[in-house]
Amino acid sequence: MTLTTTPVASRPAADLQDPSWRSLLEPVLAGGSAAGADLVEVFLERTDHIGVLAEQEAITSVSPAFGAGAGIRVFLDGRDGFVSTNDLSAGGLLSALDQALGMLGLLRPAGGNGGFAGLPDLRDHGAGKQLWLQTCPSLAESTSRLLEGTDRLQRHGKHLQARRATYARDWQEVLVAASDGTFARDIRLHQSVGLSVLAADGEHRASLGRRYGTSDRPDDLRSWDAEAAALDLTESAARMLYADYVEAGQFPVVLANRFGGVIFHEACGHLLETTQVERGTTPFAERVGEAIAHEAVTAIDEGLSDGAFGSLSMDDEGMEPQRTVLIENGILRRFLSDRAGERRTGHARTGSGRRQSHAFAAASRMRNTYIAAGPHTPGDLIASVDRGLYCKSMGGGSVGPTGQFNFAVEEAFLIENGELTKPVKGATLIGEAKEVMPRISMCANDLDLAAGFCGSVSGSIFVTVGQPHIKVDSITVGGR
Amino acid sequence: MSSSTANPPELSVALDAGALRQRLVDLAAASGIQRWDLGAGCSTDTSVQVDRGDAKQMKGAQRSAITVRVWNDQGLVGVTSTSDLSDSGLERALAGARDASAFGNPEDTPAFSPLATAPLATLDQPLHQPVGILELLDTLKEAEKDLLGRHPAIGTVPYNGLSQRSSERLYLNSDGACRQQRLTTASLYLYARAEETGRKPRSAGAVRLAYGAESLDIAGCIEEAAARTISHLDYAPIDTGRYTCVFTPEAFLDLIGAFSSMFNARAVLDGVSLSTRDSLGTPVAVPFLSIHDNGLHPGNIGASSFDGEGTPTRRLALVEGGTLRNFLHSEATARAFGVSPTGHAGLGAKVSVGPDWFEIGPAEAAEGAATGLDHLAGDGDPRGLVLIDSLSALHAGVKASQGSFSLPFDGWLISGGELRSIEAATVAGDIRQVLQGIVGFEGDAKVTPGGLCPHVWVEGLSITGES
Repeated sequence: MTLTTTPVASRPAADLQDPSWRSLLEPVLAGGSAAGADLVEVFLERTDHIGVLAEQEAITSVSPAFGAGAGIRVFLDGRDGFVSTNDLSAGGLLSALDQALGMLGLLRPAGGNGGFAGLPDLRDHGAGKQLWLQTCPSLAESTSRLLEGTDRLQRHGKHLQARRATYARDWQEVLVAASDGTFARDIRLHQSVGLSVLAADGEHRASLGRRYGTSDRPDDLRSWDAEAAALDLTESAARMLYADYVEAGQFPVVLANRFGGVIFHEACGHLLETTQVERGTTPFAERVGEAIAHEAVTAIDEGLSDGAFGSLSMDDEGMEPQRTVLIENGILRRFLSDRAGERRTGHARTGSGRRQSHAFAAASRMRNTYIAAGPHTPGDLIASVDRGLYCKSMGGGSVGPTGQFNFAVEEAFLIENGELTKPVKGATLIGEAKEVMPRISMCANDLDLAAGFCGSVSGSIFVTVGQPHIKVDSITVGGR
Repeated sequence: MSSSTANPPELSVALDAGALRQRLVDLAAASGIQRWDLGAGCSTDTSVQVDRGDAKQMKGAQRSAITVRVWNDQGLVGVTSTSDLSDSGLERALAGARDASAFGNPEDTPAFSPLATAPLATLDQPLHQPVGILELLDTLKEAEKDLLGRHPAIGTVPYNGLSQRSSERLYLNSDGACRQQRLTTASLYLYARAEETGRKPRSAGAVRLAYGAESLDIAGCIEEAAARTISHLDYAPIDTGRYTCVFTPEAFLDLIGAFSSMFNARAVLDGVSLSTRDSLGTPVAVPFLSIHDNGLHPGNIGASSFDGEGTPTRRLALVEGGTLRNFLHSEATARAFGVSPTGHAGLGAKVSVGPDWFEIGPAEAAEGAATGLDHLAGDGDPRGLVLIDSLSALHAGVKASQGSFSLPFDGWLISGGELRSIEAATVAGDIRQVLQGIVGFEGDAKVTPGGLCPHVWVEGLSITGES
């Protein structure tokens, strides 16, 4: 077989603080502007990842990965062309630009800058974060902590057929430059640690997991409470091992705080992203200022909470994050918007342009999203239900193009006459945002957040979901 | 329309196996590394999306990545992946893998596959020249326009895309193995959204794969997307209860795929499979069911001729006549079981194992299976028969190591010879119950992107509706 041979990524990816990047990026932005583009944006990244897996008493996988790449996006009249590449040489970047311009019928002229006057001084959000990577736990420390986790699981659990602990550390350095004068750099650090078990006794089986995650805290794994995490998980596993499958039907449900917030994330949050407005897939597109939820509901998306998984110093389009009130006492206030969303829908940017990596164009995405605390205690909510379901721990979920959402319940209990009774498993909650949001009738006073991953149009990103305990007056519970 | 070409399409990035090997040999020698292997891939992609007649997004991508494994002096393995194929990137990758090898698992150390130099099957995979992106855009605009015109209720096609890829993958090891494969593929998906006044929006779609954009069955994709979307416009809630369900080929393949850890030797060794070592030779399904994994099937667009360890891909019987016959293996799991690798490995510090492409259908002696099944004729139950068209949220609603599932689905209730779309519902059960509850098969097996399968009838599944 005859193969062409072209050097790939022939330019080693230097620290993005290096001033040489300016001289590489300015010709790209000038060339795109001279070709007639409304806006040209370059997103550069360097990444460094470690994944570690412990099973039973052994470390069974250590997976380092590193890389670099660029994503170049060109806008013209609301349309855009996007090209990503691992080739960070000057020729590679200009070649990617030419491809993106060609998608819009534009051609880079031999000279000229189209009015682009050069990049301003760098806004460097990463300046104080240079040592983060070096101060993260070493491999020896990481593996030791995970083995501590599986040991604690063994100590506290019964009938455990499999015990796993995982750790992931994602370091990312990004540089965003655009022809509108955006020039900003940041360093991000996300760490997560998780435990999972499979409990088995005869025909009874229960598989459960918990994951914790933070951003921008190099010491996070060192301060992880393995004992508490293992105790929490093994107690849940013991309860669910012999639990009956839930009876199907329509019930009032009380959803626990923390990861219970996935219901708002899936049921409503995605529908408040301008990507959904662009597609015509949100029922809320024309309803700003109208009631879309029960008056008990105030919902917020922000990128500011200290150490939260979805927090950012700047989004992936170089904009500082905000605290965005989405719903206030049931009234829809704002959508989450990015560059493309602002150009195509008119909703002002909210610092929500996010992407998994350089290989994705940014899109309007959630950050730390939660329902605000209310006046009740969790006990008030449970006491208000004669017969229903208490969802203590939630699995993942999704929302479809018609707004119908679903998510799995990992650990649940029946509520009978206002009290928690027996544990049940196998529940799935399904519904439609427009119908469910008005049914969230009570919010407790115990708001708490939990780390998660969200997969959507611009890839998988770090997010936080959250809520206090909430009561949904009626929802379809899929079961047996 | 042009078809395949004798000259391979040019990749803007490409792998020169000989040069890459030499760079690895030199860098490894300089680092004192004797034993290594490497998996590499590069690709060039272009794709378009449209929105009501306008270009929504056009994308291009050049990607390259390698994963390198090294064995240290104690025989332990470390791994590192990178997209940086510069000399300094490769050097750093080797150093990272060597550092990681200090944490290699002495109880489960991978080795080179004994089949890494065995002959490979010849795949009929014509290489296509890429189509210009503006031509892709025009094609997709036309497809969207056609679909929007199929019914007044179809207002948008919110999820659509037409893409093409030229790719190359490579496996090398320090014992001289060299595997290389080039491939071109194209895909089209169209998911329409329809809404009638006073009723809920409904959505459905279709997907097509081919070796090149000009070979895609665009008309068939539009036809299927339109028919499925329109068929869901008239919907009604379903009563909660137990029903006989008919899975479309796509839905049944998705369900079996979600529980493929039953057939996965890695999961068996890890204690997270429903199967154990002793499960081989035992009945796991009705005696008229067979399941094979066959990555080489000509319907498998984009098939690989070798796995991540260089082992040739091959057809493997998993369930024959209802009995579990084989597990999917990597080199390490095969060694643990005393068998040969089956060509289902990835490449990593802990080598993953996974299926390629399922063939599901009746066993050769299909005694016991109901015959003459026709879902339009129903099954005699006055409550009706549930036809499950597609399953959703498999990532959340499947507990593979428990065997249980609870999944939203799109489908129809068939009663009195009439189909009516089901408003919103979940199907729940246990995969072992499903495999033992198969009544029979309907129609010929259909080639889908995920495998080959006929319609499958299963009795006694729990359906939760909103009525």
